[in-house]
Amino acid sequence: MRKMILAAASATSVTALTAAALLFAGVIMAAQTAPATPRTADGKVDLNGIWGVAPLPPAVKPGESVRWLLPLKGVNPEGTDVFKGLDRWQVDARAAAPNKPEYKPEWVAKVKDLSAKQGVLDPAFYCKPQGVPRMGAPTQIVQTPGQVVFLYGASNLFRVIPTDGRPHRADADPSYMGDSIGRFEGDTLVVDVTNFNDDTWLGSDGYFHTEAMHVVERLRREGDTIFYTATVEDPSVLAKPWTITPRTLKRSASASDALLEAPPCVEHDAPHIVTLDHH
Amino acid sequence: MNGRWAGLWVLAGMLLGGVSMSAHHSFAAEFDINKPVTLAGTVTKIEWVNPHVYVYLDVKDASGKVTPWSLSSLGPAAARRAGVTRSSFGQGQTVTVLAYHAKDGSNFGFMRRMTFADGHSIELWLGDDAAKQ
Repeated sequence: MRKMILAAASATSVTALTAAALLFAGVIMAAQTAPATPRTADGKVDLNGIWGVAPLPPAVKPGESVRWLLPLKGVNPEGTDVFKGLDRWQVDARAAAPNKPEYKPEWVAKVKDLSAKQGVLDPAFYCKPQGVPRMGAPTQIVQTPGQVVFLYGASNLFRVIPTDGRPHRADADPSYMGDSIGRFEGDTLVVDVTNFNDDTWLGSDGYFHTEAMHVVERLRREGDTIFYTATVEDPSVLAKPWTITPRTLKRSASASDALLEAPPCVEHDAPHIVTLDHH
Repeated sequence: MNGRWAGLWVLAGMLLGGVSMSAHHSFAAEFDINKPVTLAGTVTKIEWVNPHVYVYLDVKDASGKVTPWSLSSLGPAAARRAGVTRSSFGQGQTVTVLAYHAKDGSNFGFMRRMTFADGHSIELWLGDDAAKQ
């Protein structure tokens, strides 16, 4: 309906005032039709659902041809720059991103060295979990009174997060995804994560951390959207806390988006790596 | 036509975000873009695993000698988002593969395209058609 009103406004030579009035009417209608934020029986914001998952296209039929290019703008698919072009595209995209963790001056050289050897040193290349926060937002959330479960469909990983007020457990070994406890602040689930091992990076550019890392994730639901963010504190190496670039997750409405078992990760490449090219 | 359609789906999936691509090594560190190889053989095994799909091929030369090759491709999630499933890679079939040879000289390569006896093909590659010269 809103689209129709806007189309009508642009297609006819109405006065600016009329156009503004129509636009205003459109905004009001949009506000009225925005989905409400649902709640669970215990009154908490309801985070249940599959989030941020793109629908799968139908599989190709037997005998049907496929030609698909991973998009690399400006790289000729018939040329000799394809592999280097992929590395360059990823390195350039990260270099251009303004949001990077800032290390204390005494650790900057170490980060640079790890980054230069990323092609062989990045723990994620050896099928290890990327860990919190590099693994990103959960793809499904299951919420029950006193507990929230995060499922990660791309990696078959899960996190069980108590929300019943208990403290961090003291009997667990440090781990890739750490020890999580959650609490609700209005429409936001706040997850406090400690007890990490140091076998993950925060990103591809050598962003190491220590076992003292502390992460706070925030998931705020508004209608059919979750806004996900995470802040990392690691005072012995980071110059200041680092907050990831926030992510916006849309709720999947289709049953066909149900998470499937991800194929296992099997490392075959390491023995064939002969240069330090990386991305 | 179908390839273009599938590509749009994948791009849409990437733009929507939320689906974490598996971390993988640089292709340039492993494969030589200047050494394309064409291999004709029988698909003996398809390993549908992260971070890359592997296809195993028995290549028979003129004298009848069989040489096993292994071929890496893109990841299973990227392949599936192009509409390509494990069965698309023709277990047991005789195929021709265009690949790029591993820099270490082993019988290993990055598979760009698999062409089947009936002429249809599956190509999962990288680049920008608008940049063709």
